[in-house]
This record gives sequence, structure tokens and C-alpha cells, in this order.
Amino acid sequence: MTALATLAPEFASVPDSTLPGPLQRYRDNAAKAIAGMAMPTRRTENWKYSSRHLQLDTALAAPLAATGTISTDIGDAYRIVIRNGVIAADESRLPAIDGIEIVRFADLDEVNAQKIVEQLDGALDTAALQFAPLNSARLQDGLLVRLASNARLDKPLFVLCQTLAEHSGSAHPRILVDAGSHSELTLVEQHESQGDAPALVNAVTELNLAAGAQVTYVRLSLDGTTVNHIGATGVRLAANARFDSHCVGFGGPLRRHDLQIRLQEAGAECRLNGVTVTLGEQHYDNHTVIEHVAPHCNSEETYRCIAAGKSHAIFNGRILIHRDAQKSVAEMSNKNLLLSSEAEIDTKPELEIYADDVKCAHGATIGQLDAESLFYLVSRGIGRTEAGTLLSMAFINELVQQIPVESVKDAIEQRLIDFIETTFQEV
Amino acid sequence: MADGNKPVKELIKREYEHGFVTEIEADTFEPGLNEDVIRRLSAIKNEPEFMLEWRLKAYRKWLEMTEPEWAHVHFPKIDYNSISYYSAPKSKADAPKSLDEVDPELLRTYEKLGIPLHERAKLAGVAVDAVFDSVSVTTTFKEQLTEAGVIFCPISEAVHKHPELIKKYLGTVVPTGDNYFAALNSAVFSDGSFVYIPEGVRCPLELSTYFRINAANTGQFERTLIIADKGSYVSYLEGCTAPMRDENQLHAAVVELVALDDAQIKYSTVQNWYPGDENGKGGIYNFVTKRGACIGRNSKISWTQVETGSAITWKYPSCVLRGENSVGEFYSVALTNNMQQADTGTKMIHLGKNTRSTIISKGISAGRSNNSYRGLVRFGPNAKGARNFTQCDSLLIGDQCGAHTFPYIESKNPSAIVEHEATTSKVSDEQLFLCRQRGIDPEQAVSMIVNGFCKEVFKELPMEFAVEATKLLEVSLEGSVG
Repeated sequence: MTALATLAPEFASVPDSTLPGPLQRYRDNAAKAIAGMAMPTRRTENWKYSSRHLQLDTALAAPLAATGTISTDIGDAYRIVIRNGVIAADESRLPAIDGIEIVRFADLDEVNAQKIVEQLDGALDTAALQFAPLNSARLQDGLLVRLASNARLDKPLFVLCQTLAEHSGSAHPRILVDAGSHSELTLVEQHESQGDAPALVNAVTELNLAAGAQVTYVRLSLDGTTVNHIGATGVRLAANARFDSHCVGFGGPLRRHDLQIRLQEAGAECRLNGVTVTLGEQHYDNHTVIEHVAPHCNSEETYRCIAAGKSHAIFNGRILIHRDAQKSVAEMSNKNLLLSSEAEIDTKPELEIYADDVKCAHGATIGQLDAESLFYLVSRGIGRTEAGTLLSMAFINELVQQIPVESVKDAIEQRLIDFIETTFQEV
Repeated sequence: MADGNKPVKELIKREYEHGFVTEIEADTFEPGLNEDVIRRLSAIKNEPEFMLEWRLKAYRKWLEMTEPEWAHVHFPKIDYNSISYYSAPKSKADAPKSLDEVDPELLRTYEKLGIPLHERAKLAGVAVDAVFDSVSVTTTFKEQLTEAGVIFCPISEAVHKHPELIKKYLGTVVPTGDNYFAALNSAVFSDGSFVYIPEGVRCPLELSTYFRINAANTGQFERTLIIADKGSYVSYLEGCTAPMRDENQLHAAVVELVALDDAQIKYSTVQNWYPGDENGKGGIYNFVTKRGACIGRNSKISWTQVETGSAITWKYPSCVLRGENSVGEFYSVALTNNMQQADTGTKMIHLGKNTRSTIISKGISAGRSNNSYRGLVRFGPNAKGARNFTQCDSLLIGDQCGAHTFPYIESKNPSAIVEHEATTSKVSDEQLFLCRQRGIDPEQAVSMIVNGFCKEVFKELPMEFAVEATKLLEVSLEGSVG
């Protein structure tokens, strides 16, 4: 047996930044903690299927420094740009609403920075997130979105995480959302890239929802084909809070998203939707955890995935009902479409239940397009590519149509159609 | 349902009725494991050289392996050197040829267990190869089987009489280095059953073995090998009880099934080993590797199990579906009560074209127990048109227990279809209310609901086992309601 590979020390080198003292200390501690970290292998349960795609060349350790911009039309919405892990303040379009604070970590004073340090990692189960500490260790800047009680953001807030991969390197964007009681927010976290050099994006987003808060979270993973992406989203919900997520992911050399939900107080609920498409040699790995800590919480999860070419798609959904979480209702569904004989789909819907008065169910399927439906369409003069695209889109469109931001919905739908069309042309 | 009318308290107090120790002088090794122990064991059994080599190879592999920790169970570390690896009843030297020659003490043990051997064997038409600790004591109905050409004997005998079959098949389904416990078993297995059904023969009897762990501190390591040649059929029944002990006992068995073209093997288990007392003291550790290989075309292997015993169960009866059109089935009821822990399920490995598998798993947790289903369904790239349906349901009784599902589904073939469903719920108040309204007491009502919950599996069991299983669930659930 060969010695376990460890994370290259270059990754732990602390970047230059102008962070306030407490955040610098937080970062330096994290850097010390990850020194010599063992890389996940096939034997690491939560990287079982993905470790073979995890090839972090030391060239990826360098910080990305390219300048430039990616012009993205987001329509009528607020926006923040995080370019290569650093907030490009001059490109922001921010609301001027009482009770809504959107600031860079770098602009915080010592006192507030200390408060943020105490909050950071609070919404994450770091034991299951091997790369979240790396994000902390490479913290250059961060985005804080804070909503006071009853504050309501009238338009969606787009956080554009742009990666300019003109040379190899990595970016580590960090977002912290603090939604006060009964506040409302729609957050679109969009990852996009430009350039052909191999790059690594290691993003961490934390959302804390106070009682009655409502957050809609749209996460779009649209990075280019040379970008490795490891992302984590941690969410904590207090009483009667509601969290809706819509995660859409396109495959890449390494694509990983961990979504951890903790329903901490009674009445909290979440609905998680996810769509993933992969082709060629691409990869995508979705790991979700929904923890029912308190009684009377509901969760609903629907993930659909299409894999074509020689690609590899993974879903791992875990529902954990704690001992006292009586009257929990949890439903999970994962359906997968395998379009090619060289593609692979691995799915693992888990239930871990320690309370008796609960209703939990999960379902998972893997299959192919229905030959009869395909024949029906083709016999009516619709080309194979078109028919295949039509049926594949029908498989995921139900979820796409639920995306509440109109402009995103239309753009993603078109993007999915184009993507799926190429998979049928390949054949 | 006679027990249903007893006051609940009285039932709670009832202890494991099969807990007693038969006092027979036993030939027991000093605790400890090393190559010498294996050599001695092999020598006692008068094994040919190839078996000793095979054991030693397994032992060396075992030394390099580490104990698996992924299962959802917790137990103190096992000291493998504090276990004695061989124990046999004294009377083995002059092996009995008929029941009259069997040690009367032994016979009385069976009677206490409710298995009057000769009577039961004759009445039920079942040939019983009773494994008492490590050496098979007696075998009935041998002649009838011999007539059909069926070989049904202790594996230690098969090593001598049919070395060609042993050499050809032993370790082909579960290789010596397959996993930690299989390697341990391969190194030190004491005895077990061997079955060979020749081509085109439908076994005239349902074969059955009663295992029983006896002498204190003796891990029992059975090894079962069943080979169904082309076009044959066999139904094999396995049932277990063990005496009450305070010290944990390790049981690491290996069962291998081989089905050639058009052959069918039906393997049914009712397992009721001592689960430990209500505080989790004592009980059997049941770490078993069971696997069947459908090598031939149109072959079929079906596992049915009812698990109510053992402190810890770690068991995944699996099917490797290699032959075209082969079928794998897994029907399971696993019940845990008090402090029991079960991590059980199945693996269906689809390699051949048009292979099909069905998994029906029913888990019932009561008391402070934890019951996990862990399954793997894998479609290889050549498993064209393969199909799997999985349903695993869990029922929770009481708010201190846990029910878990860990299904792994891996597909590399677009024409394969897999469906997986799982639900978890409790005995609903409406159902209970309906029963009580009609004058059925709570204990009986729960028993009825649980039986209904398990019906899909029970109907797969051979008749006499189905009756026993129903009874077993009732007894195992006693005291968990009210």
C-alpha cells in the first residue's frame, strides 16, 4: 500500500490581503490546521466515487491574479462580483434598503470582524467537508450579507463568482448570509469562468436563517471545462424558517457540491431541487445532508441527473432524523438518466432515523429514455437529436421551471437544451 | 398468538428460553491464534495438505487486513487471541452411526430446544445435519439423499471424499481474502455443511442444518458450500439458537452458493441467537459472509432470512449474477429489540445480460436498538437489459430506536433499469385504534400489524419455517409495547 497522499504545502500558503486582525488570525489558524492534510481516497466514504477525479496539481495552488471581466446580463437585479475570490467592489449594484447590509470582510472593523469569526464555519459540518478548511486558509476576502428583522430584498441578489483562468491557479470565494427573523432574500450564486488554463474554485457559502426567515437560493455551476469546482453550502434554520434551493450544475473535470441543511428548531422546512448534466469525460458529484434536529420539520428533496458520453455522475443524499425530532416529514427523490453505455451513475440515498413518529421516504431510479416514446416522436418526423433532447428536457424541466428568478430560468433552460443537444449529436 | 394474552409485565420479564449450557466434556484448544493452531486444527481434522495450505494462505492474508469499521454498529474491540478456535464434543472418536449412539446429553439439548431430532426429521420429512459446536454429530435421511445422488455431508468429510469438488469450488465465491471475517473463517473454519446436487436432480428433501453455539468462549466458524449442478434444484434451510452467555461470542461464518446453468438454490434462514439482555450485556456477534454466484445461464439464487437474534448482526447475503438471464432474490425481515444492532442487507452484482434481481427488506426496530439496511446494486457495463427492484421498509416501535438505510446504486449500463424505494414509519395509531376497538389487546395488535408488514417475506419461506418465523417475531417483540 502506498503512503497516503497529502495536500501539497503550496495550497496552505497564506495569501496577501488587507483583512482585519481577527479574520487574519482565523485564516492563519486554518492554514496551520490543514498543513499535511490527507487527500481523500477511494476509501474515504464521502469521496468514494469522486476521488479519482480529484487531481490537484500544485500549479492549482497559486492564487489567480488575472484581471478582466466577464460580462453577464442579469437583468434587473442587484449584484456583487467576486472575481478570483476577491470582491470587485466597483462593479457592484447594491440596494439602499434599511436593514440590509452587504459588505466585504475587508471593510469590517475589528469588533465586527471578531463577530464574523465567531460565526464562520457555524453552519458547516466540517467533518464531512475536507476542503472547507482550505477555503478558510486561503481567505482573501469574503462577502457578508446581513438582513435585519423583517427586512426584505425586493429583487434577487446575484453573487457572480467569476474565475479568470488565464493561467493555472485557484480561487476561494466565501459568502456568509445572516438572515434576521422574518426577513426575505433571493440569492443567486453563479459560478462562471473564462480562460482555458486548469483552475480550482473552492467556494464556501453559509446561510443562517433566524426564526421565520425565508431564503431562496439558486446555485448555478457554469464554470468552463478546465475548471475544477469544489463547493460547499451550509444552512442553519431556526423556527419556522424556510429555505428553498435550486442547484443547477454542468459537468467538468471535477465538480463537487456539498449542501448541508440543519433544521434546528420546530417548524423549519426546506425544499431542495437539483439538476445535473454531464457529458464527455465530465464529472459531477452532489452530496446533500438534511438534518432534522427538532420536531415538526419538513424537508423535500428532488434531484435529477443526466449522464452521457463517458461521464460520471454521483448523488449522495442523506436524511438524518435526530432522537427528538418527532413528527418529521422527509421525502427524497433522485432520478437519473443514463444516456450512454460508457457513462456511469452512482447514487446513494441514505436514511438515518432515530425517532419513531416520522414519515420518511426516498426513491431512486436509474434508467434510459423510453424507447417507445422515442419511436413515437421519430415516426412523426422529428429528428433523433431533437426527439432525444425533447425527452431529456422533459425529464428535468419540471425542476427547471420551478426556478423563481425568471431571467435565470430562461437562460438555464436554453443552456440545458444546447448542452443536451450536443450529447445526442455525439452519438 | 397464545402469548398475546399474557400480561405485558410478565412477558417483559421472560428471559431467553434457549439459554442453558450443555455439560459435555469438550475437546477445546487454548485461546489464541497462530500458524501452529491452524496446523493443529488441520491435523485433528486429518485434512489433506491442500487444505492446510489454503488455511495458512488465508491466515497470512488475514494478518495483513484490518477490521472493517464502516458498519453502523458499535462494540468493544475483539481480542482474537482470547478466543479458542476449536471445540468438539468428546464422543467424536467413535462417531455414532444412528441416533441411539448419540450422546444422550446432546439429544436432551435438542429436546429442550424443541427439536426432537428423529421425530421431527421423520414427521417433517427434513434431513437434519445437526452441527453441535464444531463437529457434525449426526446425519439423517442420508440414504434417501444418496439414492438421488445428492451429496449432503459435513464439509470436513467432503474434503476427504470429494476433494475434486472442494478444490474446484471452495473459495471461488468468497475468496479467502474477501474481507476480514471471511479470511478469519477461511483460516480456522471448523466444520459446516457441504451440498452437491448433481445435474438434473431436484433434491427430494428440504435440507436443513441446526447450528448451535455451545462451549463458552468458542467462536464458531462454519463454512457452508452448496453447489447446484446444471438443471438441479435445492432448498436449504438454516436455523440457529444459542445458549445464554454473559461474554460476547464471535460467530464468523461463510456461506458459498454456486448455481450452474438452469440451476436453482433457495436458501432460507431463521436466526435466533442470543441477543444479549435488555442492557446489551452478552449476546452473539454474528459477522457472516454469505454469497451466491449464478454462474450458469438462467440460474437463480434466492435468499430469504428472518433475523431476530444476535447482539450484533453484520450480514449481507449477496448474488453475483454472471450468467445470462440469471436471477437473484433477497427477502429479509430483520428485527432488533433492546440494545441489538443490525447492519444487514444485500449486494446484487449484475454482470450478465438480462439479469434480474429483487430486494425486499423489512426492518423492525424496537427498544433501544439500531437496525440498518445496507445494500449495493451494481450494473456492470455488460449487464444489458438488467433490472433491479428494491424496496426497503422500516418500522419503528418506540422512540429510542433507530432505523437506517444506506443503499448504494451504481450503474454503468444505460439499458439497465433500477428502482429503489424506501419508507420509514411507525405502527400507526389508526391501525392500533382499529384493532383495539375490536377487542384485540395492544400486544396482539402490534404482533398482527408487524406480521402484516412482513408478509411479503414470510410467504417466501418454506412452510414450517414460516410458522416458526411468525412465532419468533411475537416472542422477540414481547415487552416492546405498552
